[in-house]
Amino acid sequence: MDHEYDVVLVGSGIAGAVIAKTLTQAGKRVLLLEAGLAAGMALSPEPSYANYQRYLETFYSKANKATNGPYPDLPDAQSPDVLQIEAKTPYDEGYLVQNGPLPFASDCLRSPGGTTLHWLGNVPRMLPNDFQMKTLYGQGVDWPISYDDLKPWYEMAEYEIGVSGDVAAQVGPDMDRSNYGDDYVFPMKEIPQSYQDQVWMKNTENLSVSLYGKDYNVTCVSMPQGRNSIPNPAYRKTGIFWNDETKRLELAGDEPGKYEVVGAIWDQNTGNRCEGNASCVPICPVQAKYNALKTLKKSDHSKLDIATQAVVSKLLVNDTTGKLDGIEYKVYANPASPIYTTKVAKGKIYVLAAGALENAKILLSSNAANSSDQVGRNLMDHLVMLMWGLFPEKVYPYRGPGCTTYLPTFRDGEFRKDFAAWISPLDNWGWSWPTFAPGSDVSNGLAAGKFGKALRDSLADTVTRQALLHFECEQAPDPNNRITVSPQYTDLLGNYRPVIQYDASDYMRKSFEAAKKVGDQIFAANGIEDFTDYNPSDADYVTWKNRGYTFWGAGHIVGTHRMGSSPADSVVKPTQQTWDHDNLYLVGCGNMPTLGTSNPTLTMTALTFMAAEAILKQLEA
Amino acid sequence: MTTSRNYTDLFLPISAWLTGFDTTELQATGMTATYYATITTKNTASCIDDFFAQAELVLQEGGGDEDKTNSLIASQLFPTSCYNNLAQNIITMWYTGEWAPDVNAAPSLAEAHNISPNAYVQGLMWTAASTHPPGAKQPGYGSWADPPIGPPVDAPLTSISNAR
Repeated sequence: MDHEYDVVLVGSGIAGAVIAKTLTQAGKRVLLLEAGLAAGMALSPEPSYANYQRYLETFYSKANKATNGPYPDLPDAQSPDVLQIEAKTPYDEGYLVQNGPLPFASDCLRSPGGTTLHWLGNVPRMLPNDFQMKTLYGQGVDWPISYDDLKPWYEMAEYEIGVSGDVAAQVGPDMDRSNYGDDYVFPMKEIPQSYQDQVWMKNTENLSVSLYGKDYNVTCVSMPQGRNSIPNPAYRKTGIFWNDETKRLELAGDEPGKYEVVGAIWDQNTGNRCEGNASCVPICPVQAKYNALKTLKKSDHSKLDIATQAVVSKLLVNDTTGKLDGIEYKVYANPASPIYTTKVAKGKIYVLAAGALENAKILLSSNAANSSDQVGRNLMDHLVMLMWGLFPEKVYPYRGPGCTTYLPTFRDGEFRKDFAAWISPLDNWGWSWPTFAPGSDVSNGLAAGKFGKALRDSLADTVTRQALLHFECEQAPDPNNRITVSPQYTDLLGNYRPVIQYDASDYMRKSFEAAKKVGDQIFAANGIEDFTDYNPSDADYVTWKNRGYTFWGAGHIVGTHRMGSSPADSVVKPTQQTWDHDNLYLVGCGNMPTLGTSNPTLTMTALTFMAAEAILKQLEA
Repeated sequence: MTTSRNYTDLFLPISAWLTGFDTTELQATGMTATYYATITTKNTASCIDDFFAQAELVLQEGGGDEDKTNSLIASQLFPTSCYNNLAQNIITMWYTGEWAPDVNAAPSLAEAHNISPNAYVQGLMWTAASTHPPGAKQPGYGSWADPPIGPPVDAPLTSISNAR
């Protein structure tokens, strides 16, 4: 690999895969550097099947079903892990150095395919008002682009991920048919809403709740998802391609009924429909759920070189030209050994797609792209407050995808001046998240002296009635929530580890109070007996007005190299080219100036298609 | 050191009384041999000998009567102080696929493992809850939109009564 590529790309998650596919299909030569194992990069049938079965066996074998459990833990390219989050700061016991005052509660995966291997796959769009938080609500910043600017790119992202959903159902504050356009449909029909959702809806749809003296009408909406269902015959798009004449990336096709479902990477006939494994997080056994390897596989592999077990250590910035001269990376043979070979990759353009933590870490390690002093700052996540209880009747959880319905009611409103907005997914998997149920129900039953038929009956009676309601609260950007690097904290290859400083502001804490008030009313209307328990020993336990709340991470790691309209206060331009180095682009959730209440992957994918077009334009100029 | 005899003839019937699943349901998991090997590996031979001697007495004295047998189990086998908590570990094993002492002793949650991958898949807590283990035995597209269809979970424990 001593020759020069058009593009050197770092990371094979969804952002990297979109860049690799789009650029190689446009005839550009790309080198992809991936820190994870070669085995995980297998795209041909037998090796990819064999590797994925190893993931699945590992998932089965582990007692705890956490997000990164099925996937290799690599000392040479560590991932954060939610199992390493502890109720104390500062500490340095996992990959992240957690300086607090609160521990950062989310993880991601450094592996071929990235975090899409364990993502849930919820893909609601952001709302138009989310792009104007400063102007409308005096919070955070405005985006340098509008919802309308992003709209055509959302359509590309929905094609690429293969979204199943009902556009007409997407109605709520700042959201209706006009967000999508009159004739727009998703590639596939909506994933059926769960039986449990239908029970929730009986008493929740059009429920009036009161909050701080104002009434709100609660509604329930089917969740758009990146998992396969039945192709929508009205969908008319057939592909994304670079138009060499117009110099535009275009979503092609105007022919109904042509959408082809994308199956498993080892067999197109596997995973053509979601089969109800109910394990989307951390692994879909049949790959009916989208993952980035599906996109990567569609690349023009005659134009794509992939180097795995290749961990980027430094960007080589030329102080005279202000451009990058290359990317230094360390290649390991054994992921648990400190032995490596250092190499340098050269291209006309460089793209970092390594995730919000790693992108910022690489930039900080290289003193690159940081004239604004914004690299690593404004680290955000959805702060997830959970409420759990027992329905009066059996609702049969632990079936179907993790979420098939959400409440849009508090995604937008004047209250955003005062406290954070949230989206409320209804959860189909019982109390598994907060209490590790139903294993904990077995141990609690034993502790209560139950065995035999009494134990079996008690599980049949209670586990089947478990309800879980989420509040995914939009964390506002805060420059002090940040990652830094320090020579004190390095990994086995001598690369930096992220040092995190993190807290939940009053704006967030008030949203927990508000969400709990709303949740109490929803529980009451459904006759749900509340078993929610926030404990001071929880990792992210916070207080507000003398009441305690616990939040969990959503795995939505966002905002460490934000996009803006000025080099003074942002890292990348709207094209996602860095302000400081015109041959360096950043892609991924790190570019998002604010988070909104959407799971960020869809929006990030839309942004990445925008970046791909900008990169192609620059290469052709 | 080995046990004074092989107790596989007692292991299933006492497991049936402990779990509330009949011997056919337990055998259908395919885990019986693995689980018997687990308890004999993870406990001393004398503990196993003592436990099954008591279990045999309980089954004989109970004579298939549900209340009587349950009462004897509650007093003679179930208390955590008895037989190194073997009865409760057997229940946890069938329900979750975990050998509880190993999981509790793991240095971290990430390093806690089930008895085998298939032990997780065959966990009976999922059956008890009218569902399936996440990631396995998938019921098919759209099945989650309706209440589950399957054998009634409150089926009478006929084969437990007939077990010995």
